[in-house]
Amino acid sequence: MSENTTRASSPSPVGHRPHPAVEALRGGLRAIWGNRKARIGMILLALFILVALLAPLLAPYAPKDNSFDRNLGASAQHWLGTTAAGEDVLSQLIHGARISVIVGFGAGSISTLIAVLIGLTWGYITGFAADVVNFVVNLFLVIPGLPLMIVIATYLQNGGISVIIAVIAITGWAWGARVLRSQTSTLRNRDFVQSAKFSGERAPRIIFREILPNMTSIIAGGFFGSATAAILAEAGLEFLGLGDSSIVSWGTMLYWAQNSNALLTGQWALLFAPGLCIALLATSLTLINFGVDGISNPRLREGSTGR
Amino acid sequence: MTSNHPAQQAGPSGAGPSDVGPPEADPSDVEEILSLQDVSVVYEPVGAAPTHAVRGVSAQIARGEFVGLVGESGSGKSTLGFAITGLATAPARIEKGRILFRGRDIASMDQDSLRSQRQGGFAMVLQSGMNALNPVRTIRKHFHDIFAAHRHVPRARREERAAELVGKVSLGPEVLDLYPDQLSGGMRQRVTIALALSLEPQLMVFDEPTTALDVMVQHAVMDTIRDLQASEGFTAILISHDLGIVLESAQRVLVMHDGEIVEDAASADILHRPRHEYTRMLLSHYADPRAEVVTLPGLEDRAVLRSDDPSDASAENPASSSPEPADPSAEPPDPSAARSAPAAPAAPPAPAASSDGASSRRAPVSRLRSGGTELRLQGVSKVYPAARRSGRAVRAVDDVSFTLEPGGATALVGQSGSGKSTIAKLITGIERPSEGTVHLGDTSVGDLGRSGLRDLRRTVQMVFQDPYAALNPLNTVEYTLARAVMNLTDVRRDGARRRVRELLETVGLTPVEQFTGKLPHQLSGGQRQRVVIARALACDPQVIIADEPVSMLDVSLRAGVLSLLRDLRESIGVSLLYITHDLLSARLITDRILVLHDGKVVESGPTARVMRAPQDDYTISLLDAIPNPRRVLTP
Repeated sequence: MSENTTRASSPSPVGHRPHPAVEALRGGLRAIWGNRKARIGMILLALFILVALLAPLLAPYAPKDNSFDRNLGASAQHWLGTTAAGEDVLSQLIHGARISVIVGFGAGSISTLIAVLIGLTWGYITGFAADVVNFVVNLFLVIPGLPLMIVIATYLQNGGISVIIAVIAITGWAWGARVLRSQTSTLRNRDFVQSAKFSGERAPRIIFREILPNMTSIIAGGFFGSATAAILAEAGLEFLGLGDSSIVSWGTMLYWAQNSNALLTGQWALLFAPGLCIALLATSLTLINFGVDGISNPRLREGSTGR
Repeated sequence: MTSNHPAQQAGPSGAGPSDVGPPEADPSDVEEILSLQDVSVVYEPVGAAPTHAVRGVSAQIARGEFVGLVGESGSGKSTLGFAITGLATAPARIEKGRILFRGRDIASMDQDSLRSQRQGGFAMVLQSGMNALNPVRTIRKHFHDIFAAHRHVPRARREERAAELVGKVSLGPEVLDLYPDQLSGGMRQRVTIALALSLEPQLMVFDEPTTALDVMVQHAVMDTIRDLQASEGFTAILISHDLGIVLESAQRVLVMHDGEIVEDAASADILHRPRHEYTRMLLSHYADPRAEVVTLPGLEDRAVLRSDDPSDASAENPASSSPEPADPSAEPPDPSAARSAPAAPAAPPAPAASSDGASSRRAPVSRLRSGGTELRLQGVSKVYPAARRSGRAVRAVDDVSFTLEPGGATALVGQSGSGKSTIAKLITGIERPSEGTVHLGDTSVGDLGRSGLRDLRRTVQMVFQDPYAALNPLNTVEYTLARAVMNLTDVRRDGARRRVRELLETVGLTPVEQFTGKLPHQLSGGQRQRVVIARALACDPQVIIADEPVSMLDVSLRAGVLSLLRDLRESIGVSLLYITHDLLSARLITDRILVLHDGKVVESGPTARVMRAPQDDYTISLLDAIPNPRRVLTP
């Protein structure tokens, strides 16, 4: 029964496979790792996550310990100096990574989840219901994001980090939903969706079991994109003083540095260090996104396109 | 022609090498334009094992020759075509060997010299060439872009030259003002040929130029290519999977198999004296559907139509040009016979069913079902409303009536746009008829609600055209089949698992254990189509609608799938509606045929009778469009 050679695009092992989801995850990570830019991004991100996890061990002092002299420059005790309130900048920086990583992944996941739920359903259904969803999504798209965020954040002031995450997720899902919707509506006309209907599958299962796995790349890309946006938005909100100014994050560090005119006192590290960290974390996610295209399309893997 | 002769690059003037071989008696008038010397092409994707697509191919092509390059998918023919035109890009790499075009090695050319030589050098027309046109630019701009890039036509002459070029491909100058989407697929492919011609190439490579086109259009475009080659005098290489098309056009044919050229001979020799068994296998899959007895390897003629048949007495013996005297398929030397053997253990022609009219009623005794369900279409029309206010409503199906008996097999035949797929949608409830009724037994399909449609799936199932698209690439065979079993029947768990294995056995995918865990991309096209058929069978349907089930498959795989469909009909009594443009396969597996043209049934009747004595002009032109090398090459 050897009907011609198989058209296997890659010589995958034919033997027993582990669970398909595990296999897919492993394959996805391998695809990302295969891209040089993405590899740098993954290493960077791993560093940040490690720092965030081990913050209490790594930080020389407690982040809110203000028992030191104020406005100190860099020294052996305080590598990056102290703040106007007399806290150690390096310890704050290390602890601040926790907030950014949590917000990035939290808000990124929630808004991606909303985008997937709405985008895929929207792309699959037709008729009046689709028009209703269309209206709602358009509403979220035309409302300017930053003002809305500011309004909600001021309304729910001092609700802690979870409020920030919620605000960013609510304002950030609409664009992703639109992208996923257009992809879904091209996939829904594919033969395998038609034939799933013929095997008696119901709509939810077709959407989330047949169509969704075919969009892994686009969803993963959307996730890293919105995580980046969430990290930047969180820093922005905190910098404007709209978040919880009692917590220690890179955004609040910038806020307090600005308040105490850190640049005028020559304490560049107060502004520069958190700013650089935000930029590096965002960069690491963006770099990973370069490799995401290769997850579900081997042709886009680096080196295989002849570039 | 597989002699490797070294050291030849020292021919700067491109002087014809005279040391090639015996056929070139006079080197001065038979100039060699292209010389392949032991060429190997390897695909080296990142993180995967390299694939040797072309292995040590050597060939010589003389100026003005029309050469065909034939092979099934995966034979490396397109890879070779890309290598010849300098289009091989990573991960493909020319591993070794030399491709000399007029004495110059193509592999060593850089991008810029490749580009500049395209004028007066070599050109390629792609399979999807009709999609190679920029949708926002008029045809005129496409020509002017090329003229501007190469500056080989003076500005004042450009308009005239563009009109002249479209004229050469049998189009009027008015197409220059149009946008690509205003042209049909065939017209667009003609335009791309004209664009390639505008650089006055000496060598044109046509990579499956007509495969994506409709049968009738295919025929006309091939005629144009042939005429152009004769009048313009360029050297042509026609790459195709269809030996019929190639034999009709080419003087010489190179047969490729697994990256190697297994036969290189004149067309007439290939047809009448094929030497390699692979060539013989390819040839054995061609037959004339008008012949008295039509046989393919593994697919014997079922209801053999005798001329002394009383019901056929009225139809005079058709003037079939070649009554297949010595059928090359009499003793198939190919592995495909063995391939279809397990599926067809004992399926000789239905014994007594000589009268074709009655055979559809009598032969496939539905021994599994009492009664069975009859599919009945009465005066069905489908009108699609105009897309825009200025547009016209489209009448896709116009007053079609027919009945598909339980256990019967009917072919719906016509070119694309004839409404045959719309009829399939009406029967499966995807679309509702504008007029008329579709009845399945006592149920009116057009009136079914959502749950009714779900129930309908237990009775009517569909086999899709493209096995590469009809299976979710991320689901294993077992998952795909088990879902269908569990959705449509009450079987669960172990029972479902047993049923999946049973289905795989039914469609001949054995040993079953080897296939359950596989993903679609690990299967060949034929195996995938078997999985698609198995899924359709999951709930023991009474009607199977097969929409061009073999058109995407290589010829050697077609017979296996076709015989499977036919055997299923006999073994489980399922009735079959076979939608196709391919009259040969319709002849082999159906009893009755409806020929559709512009949504109307122009001819219907027993398949064999309609094929042998077609009454309608459209049916005749469909039959004429089938490539038949014997018609051309038999003196």
